[in-house]
Amino acid sequence: MSKHPLQFLEIPRKDPAKEDAEERIKHFDEIYESYDGASAAAQAGRCIACGNPYCEWKCPVHNYIPNWLDLIEQGKLFEAAELSHQTNSLPEICGRVCPQDRLCEGACTLNDGIGAVTIGSIEKYITDEAVKLGWRPDMSQVVDSGKTVGIVGAGPAGLAAADVLARQGIRSVVYDAYPDIGGLLTYGIPPFKLEKEVVNKRREILEGMGVKFVLNTRIGEDKPFDELLEEFDAVFLGMGTYNYVRGGFAGEDLPGVHEALPYLVSNVYRELAYDDDSIPYIDLAGKNVVVLGGGDTGMDCNRTAIRQGAASVRCAYRRDEENMPGSRREVANSKEEGIEFLFNRQPLEIVGKDHVTGVKVIETQMSEPGSDGRRRPEPIAGTEQVLPADAVVIAFGFQPDPPAWFEDFSIETLPSDRVRVATVGDYIHQTSNPKVFAGGDMVRGSDLVVTAVFEGREAAKGIAAYLGV
Amino acid sequence: MTERIAQGLYDPAFERDSCGFGLIANLDDMPSHWVVETAISALARLTHRGAVAADGKTGDGCGLLIKLPERFLRAVAEEQGMQFGVRFAAGTVFLSQDPDLAATARKAIETTVAEVGLEHAGWRVVPTDPSACGERALRTLPQIEQVFVNAPDGMSRGSFNRRLFLARRRAENRITDAETYIASLSSVTISYKGMVMPGVLPDFFPDLRDPRLESSVCMFHQRFSTNTMPQWRLAQPFRFLAHNGEINTIQGNRNWAQARAKNFLSDKLDDISDLDPIISLTGSDSSSLDNMLEVMRAGGMDVLQAMRILLPPAWQSVDDIDPDVRAFYEFYDSQMEPWDGPAGIVLTDGRYAACCLDRNGLRPARFVITKDRHLTVASEIGVYDYDEKDVLTKGRLGPGQMLAVDLVNGVVLENDDIHDILKTRAPYKKWLKKGVRYLDSELVDTHTAAEPMDPNTLASYQKMFNLSREELNDIVAVLAERAQEAVGSMGDDTPMAVLSKKVRSPFDYFRQQFAQVTNPPIDSLRERIVMSLQTNIGRESSLFDIGPEHAEQICINSPILSQRKLRQLLSDDMHGNNHSFIDLNVDESLSLPAALEQMCAQAVKAVDDGKLILLLSDRYLVPGKLPVHALLATGAVHHHLVRKGLRCDVNIVVETGVARDPHHFACLIGYGATLVYPYLVYQSLHDIAQRGNLDKQQQLGRNYRRGIRKGLFKIMSKMGISSVSSYRGAQLFEIVGLHDEVVDRCFTGTTSRIQGSNFDDLKSDQQQLAVTAWKPQLTIEQGGLLKYVYGGEYHCYNPDVVTTLQAAVRSGDFEKYKDYAALVNNRPVATLRDLLLTKVAGPAVPLDEVEPVEDILVRFDSAGMSLGALSPEAHESLAIAMNRMGARSNSGEGGEDPSRYGTERVSKIKQVASGRFGVTAEYLVNAEVIQIKIAQGAKPGEGGQLPGHKVNEMIARLRFAKPGVGLISPPPHHDIYSIEDLAQLIFDLKQVNPKALVSVKLVAEPGVGTIAAGVVKAYADLITISGYDGGTGASPLSSVKYAGSPWELGLSETHQVLRRNDLRGKVRLQTDGGLKTGVDVIKAAMLGAESFGFGTGPMVALGCKYLRICHLNNCATGVATQNSTLRSEFFIGLPDMVINFFRFVAEDTRELMAELGVRKLEELIGRVDLLQPELGDTDRQSRLDLAPIVSAEGIARDAAQFCTELRNDPFDKGELAEEMVRAALPAIEAKSGGRFGFEVKNFNRSIGARLSGEIARQHGNEGMRDAPIDILLRGTAGQSLGVWNVSGLNLILIGDANDYVGKGMAGGRVVVRPPEDADYLVRETAIIGNTCLYGATGGQLFAAGTAGERFAVRNSGATAVIEGSGDHCCEYMTDGVVVVLGRTGINFGAGMTGGFAYVLDIDRCFVDRYNHELIDIHRITPETMEVHLHHLRSLITQHVEATGSEWGSQILDDYRTFMPKFWVVKPKAAELGSLIASLRQAA
Repeated sequence: MSKHPLQFLEIPRKDPAKEDAEERIKHFDEIYESYDGASAAAQAGRCIACGNPYCEWKCPVHNYIPNWLDLIEQGKLFEAAELSHQTNSLPEICGRVCPQDRLCEGACTLNDGIGAVTIGSIEKYITDEAVKLGWRPDMSQVVDSGKTVGIVGAGPAGLAAADVLARQGIRSVVYDAYPDIGGLLTYGIPPFKLEKEVVNKRREILEGMGVKFVLNTRIGEDKPFDELLEEFDAVFLGMGTYNYVRGGFAGEDLPGVHEALPYLVSNVYRELAYDDDSIPYIDLAGKNVVVLGGGDTGMDCNRTAIRQGAASVRCAYRRDEENMPGSRREVANSKEEGIEFLFNRQPLEIVGKDHVTGVKVIETQMSEPGSDGRRRPEPIAGTEQVLPADAVVIAFGFQPDPPAWFEDFSIETLPSDRVRVATVGDYIHQTSNPKVFAGGDMVRGSDLVVTAVFEGREAAKGIAAYLGV
Repeated sequence: MTERIAQGLYDPAFERDSCGFGLIANLDDMPSHWVVETAISALARLTHRGAVAADGKTGDGCGLLIKLPERFLRAVAEEQGMQFGVRFAAGTVFLSQDPDLAATARKAIETTVAEVGLEHAGWRVVPTDPSACGERALRTLPQIEQVFVNAPDGMSRGSFNRRLFLARRRAENRITDAETYIASLSSVTISYKGMVMPGVLPDFFPDLRDPRLESSVCMFHQRFSTNTMPQWRLAQPFRFLAHNGEINTIQGNRNWAQARAKNFLSDKLDDISDLDPIISLTGSDSSSLDNMLEVMRAGGMDVLQAMRILLPPAWQSVDDIDPDVRAFYEFYDSQMEPWDGPAGIVLTDGRYAACCLDRNGLRPARFVITKDRHLTVASEIGVYDYDEKDVLTKGRLGPGQMLAVDLVNGVVLENDDIHDILKTRAPYKKWLKKGVRYLDSELVDTHTAAEPMDPNTLASYQKMFNLSREELNDIVAVLAERAQEAVGSMGDDTPMAVLSKKVRSPFDYFRQQFAQVTNPPIDSLRERIVMSLQTNIGRESSLFDIGPEHAEQICINSPILSQRKLRQLLSDDMHGNNHSFIDLNVDESLSLPAALEQMCAQAVKAVDDGKLILLLSDRYLVPGKLPVHALLATGAVHHHLVRKGLRCDVNIVVETGVARDPHHFACLIGYGATLVYPYLVYQSLHDIAQRGNLDKQQQLGRNYRRGIRKGLFKIMSKMGISSVSSYRGAQLFEIVGLHDEVVDRCFTGTTSRIQGSNFDDLKSDQQQLAVTAWKPQLTIEQGGLLKYVYGGEYHCYNPDVVTTLQAAVRSGDFEKYKDYAALVNNRPVATLRDLLLTKVAGPAVPLDEVEPVEDILVRFDSAGMSLGALSPEAHESLAIAMNRMGARSNSGEGGEDPSRYGTERVSKIKQVASGRFGVTAEYLVNAEVIQIKIAQGAKPGEGGQLPGHKVNEMIARLRFAKPGVGLISPPPHHDIYSIEDLAQLIFDLKQVNPKALVSVKLVAEPGVGTIAAGVVKAYADLITISGYDGGTGASPLSSVKYAGSPWELGLSETHQVLRRNDLRGKVRLQTDGGLKTGVDVIKAAMLGAESFGFGTGPMVALGCKYLRICHLNNCATGVATQNSTLRSEFFIGLPDMVINFFRFVAEDTRELMAELGVRKLEELIGRVDLLQPELGDTDRQSRLDLAPIVSAEGIARDAAQFCTELRNDPFDKGELAEEMVRAALPAIEAKSGGRFGFEVKNFNRSIGARLSGEIARQHGNEGMRDAPIDILLRGTAGQSLGVWNVSGLNLILIGDANDYVGKGMAGGRVVVRPPEDADYLVRETAIIGNTCLYGATGGQLFAAGTAGERFAVRNSGATAVIEGSGDHCCEYMTDGVVVVLGRTGINFGAGMTGGFAYVLDIDRCFVDRYNHELIDIHRITPETMEVHLHHLRSLITQHVEATGSEWGSQILDDYRTFMPKFWVVKPKAAELGSLIASLRQAA
């Protein structure tokens, strides 16, 4: 409270140290170091505690950012961790994978040339450090409600729901088809952004809170859904979106063309040394790779390919850099690591006879913004060219893929295949089956980790209300 | 009396008045007609202190109270065949013109006279000449008659008068018609008063011309009322006194009088049980005071003692008061609270004639005693033309002083004489010593919470009492850490409690009232000396039959208890088993009214059981029970006991979790709590400290209490109240949004105008909290009342609104503006106007037929934001933008760089605020509008402070200060303590710049409409009504949150009252406060505004992101900072952004006008019929009754809806000033200098200002320096001699002057010296009045005699020599030199941050008289301070040369002897050695 009002000018914004690109592309470990206590405090002290906390406003889970920055400045690590967990179930993960430059840090008042507060890195520091020093969520005041909830999917939404439910005295069992928890956190996000140890640590914390995990179990296949309905007082679905968006152009099925997710998952499987033949390793070592797509998944593919030892990686995107959806930080990291960006290139087809040899693209220019506020690309006639490639990774995003059994349980979906849930009333996130709640990507469509967390948390509140807790 | 009902938002109870007043008395009680005649002419010479209607005939009433002219009355009675006994009485009665009603009233009086054993002797129709009345007065002219009563033989005069009193009161209670009014009925005095102008009083009452009408005492009074409804009964004097000022605590005083009715029993008085109420609960504050004085006198107390008890001086904190005198006041303080407020009172009961001033000395009173043994006291000196050589002595009353004539013994009793009489009447000191016990304050209570709650329990309590993390960290912890309130900036942009969808504290419904115009706030920091929180616990008993048992009191220095004190208080050894515990936690099933009833019953039982203390406690929460909010319980119990007449037998102590910030304590005390013990705060602090988040745990509780005490002082002083005993129960709040069922039961009599939450709503709030309270897994709330938090309270300037607006003004895209407007217009209900739907006036009109954007833009002003709050870049961008649009920007407080004059960077509106920083003649003549900022929406009633570190080179230059020296803006304008003072300031401004319009900025509160009416009568051209939501650069958070009302209420009330009084056409009305879109403009217009002020909107357009950190000088957007890096590198604002904003709003307005079917905005002004209150989103919103806001009840349909006159010119044409201009103008134009002579009298006001204005306009402040014009004056100058004086104008007055000499002087010289034939001790005689040199920035003042209070207040450059001063000399001084060659008053140099003074301390008591906070004093020694020695000598030499001062010569002649008796007084921060050097630098 008595902090120096001009600290934000006198101490510049400083991210934690980042490993040099040449070195870091040799492995899959995280590239950022962590703050020490003093630098975290100094950076946190740059916050001017605005009357309008734009960071909190922009943050999808509405973290009490200025408040925990203040605590960190005062050296109150455990209190900061406690506060951080009041709004976010996975703060150390969000601190790593959120596109902060589009969210909290982008909205930070100081982002107008002065340099935003390094919110993400501090968020990561808080939980990492607190957990390291033995902090665990305080469950001493929680009274068991006697209610139980079955959760389908151990991704961010499911984990968040489990966390909030546990704090309300509601026990939950989380089912997931994969051998580890985390869903895309574990299998989609490459380890250089999020080391798998972090997710394991979170598992340990959640288990400490009483959450049970049943893995390698696909609901509807390995365990029928009606068993869940019988065993639990309510069910939460957080199954994500796994349908890849296809480009809809020729050559997508050629050998050497890979969908982003299987590509990334296969890499994780290899990194985690799973012995599972059903997920063959896709090795792009020595290849000239073209990645299509400008989102964060595209960046993940770029950088995975580089680490695998690709001869070259080029990333083609139909809009300009300004209108790219991916985090600027990831674009910058990609560039540092040697990825070449080709903006305003719209893919027309994938060229090749029995194996991909290239991608035919056309140049575009930006026109007026469309209904989503983003400027649309318009192809410029006569600018077609073929980008030579040995391998192409397509990262156009994901769509929901509701399982067939939804119908059996009157769980309705929208025309977009997203699950329809209540958005107002006492039981938000309730599906058309009153006992079933849903949240995350399968409800809102493919989105950020942090939005999935938010949905899981909100759904858990709806469930608690539904259960009268 | 009939009950007067409020109409619309207007309530007759809001009416205020003030005036000129005085008395003339013959010291030997020798009656003469001369006394009456002279008094009347004196009254006429105070006409400028009253109000005059346009017809020049109707005033607000004036009158005389004279000692009974027995000879005259016997003579005229005899003419009518009446016979009087040896002892008789006469009464003046206003009767109805209806003969039947009059007959009934006469009969009633005759009957009650007979009942009390007196003999009715007859009636006389008082001759009157109605042609002396104005038209409005004629409409209500009563039949005026005198009634005569004979005393039975042998009845003593005292007994006779008491019976007359009973007869009158009983008659009043029986007479039901509203017109009958018994103006006086006494054997010693009689009144002549009416709704006429002073000059024609003897025309109206020919009696007064009759030479046979002789009296030894004549009191006179001239009223300036804020309304224009003629009310004959409101004319003063009353039966004993005439009052200039206002009793701020009137509501509490009336309640307490009612509560202690039985303590007024006296064996001297027969049965007064039928005198219910004992004093009038309606009518003016002054009339209630008169009633109270009458009751005390009837009980056997003489007027001197009664008056001193009612209006005590500041005895608590003054060091050098006689212990016996202190004991007298302390004794009675425990029996009766003071009647607090600005007051100059003259009174007579025939035995004494006296004058008395309030403890702050906020009204002027000057006296003169002539050799023919007459005493004259009046608001001004020079009210009749006595010969100076006949003057025995002249003087002025100081704060808290009383002056009396003992008519029996023919002696003048000065203040000390009166004290000597009073202090010896009983062994007060002995009684107190025996009876009073003090709660130990010596020992520090090291425990914030002796039995700490476990974290789980604590959390339950915090949740149950809605204590959020935000409130804990940002309010409570700050208080405990810094011992003062947290400071914030920007405004309150959240909905009022009743509009909110969140659970809000019942305290949030209460808006603190504050003083504006009709009374001044106090500076509780710099004038700490008048403030007191001393609290007594004990029982009150008869006021007349006193004894040692009255002194059995427990005395506590503050109403905020620590744990130790609570225990001590409740312990058995204090007063036996003295308390009764009343549990506020009641069964969940019980309704609130039932619960309150139960508590009231418990309270009554406790009193019956003889308990001294009621402990209302919510300390023991139990699941299944709900706590009744302590404020509801306190108010309900308090009022119940008042109604039962039991309140004064018991004290209410509140042990509660709900009291956290100063406002909470103020509410509890304001509704009757004696002491408050905030246990949840202590528990929470203990917890915070345990977690290591606050250091020095031992000090936390103490600091917290200190912070609350300061906060309480602030809240009390905001209303001008200095003692907590008169704040207690005074209910100085407006309630916004509580239903009558709640107000009537718990907060009886508090202004509450729009209904809202009822008991069920309040209970359901508490139920919601209880649900979370008992769920241990739920954490406490984050908050969101101060700052935006997702899911928390709605904020009108939330991030979406700010970012969308900025996108719109930067792109210039009207479509983006529409996105912004949609966000604003579709928000959840956040303001009262959101519940008012607009209706169409007619069929839609094509957009191109609607008046153009340009015509709307001229109605837009930017709100006053000072250069100091804003960066120069932002300030100038704003000015450029407004000028380019043909609109006006407002300089704010703090001057303006002269290089901006005449360019597009000029601010067309120049503000005059209480600090008067940079206000000079040149500044004022460069204005199109001069705005007097009475109050600021974010912190009405408070001053401000610019810390030294923010005073950079530029700000110092513009404010005539030194870089690094802190600058203080006082809470009041020291020249506006009442409405007639404001009229004087407006006159000062119109004199210096006759072309400018004068605007007065008020803040919405109940009664603001009535104040506005007074402001129009004071000749303002524009009025701004600001809402509570206005922004600020720095303010305590509780001020931002809890003071001021929504502008919808204030604007609408003002519009209604102005129309009702036929004043709306004379003034332009503006509103500001959170205006954002065209919808706001349209609704404000419909509620009565024709002009619109925008503060935050254009700031946001310039890049402000509503960071609320303006007070830290680190605004990251460079808008509100002086930091050069932030300004130069990060400020992105351009005038075009502001222009875009305003053009968008104007275009938006046009489109709406087209839809509504009007072509000109004018057609919408005041069209409340086009506003339809609609049901809200919640039950409580729907319970609001907004009909009073859109009411036009009781208003003539043809009354003007908007301003129809170009200017509102004063009645006083300032003819002498015009004559002076005619004489001197050629010399000014030619810059040639000259010498002119004039006679002046007390009604020649602001002399010099017209010339200064002409000089400044042509040559600037300094241009005539080398060719000065000398004006020689002779006589008594009216107020404001030499106001705004500039270089090149020298005023030399032989005679004396009234208040405000040299106010705002920038240069030149003012000299005041007594006539050569003066025969009194000049150096001890008052020669100039109060508040001289206020805000002066340069020039010289020499006065051979003493000055009044607050000499050189806020002086920032003038040099002055005087021979003695009143209290608070050199207050807030920032520069300049003041020499006082004699005794000063107390509190010298409070808040003095710059300049220095020399004080001659003959009687060696200056050490006790200066304020030690900021200044230190040094002897002048020849060894080290030669330079001071010479400097002082040269100043005295100049003084002697200018004034011929004998005293000055004497000092010079014997300089070596006097020199060691001088002190150099300087700010502690200044170097002694560099004082004179820096002076030279400045010159």
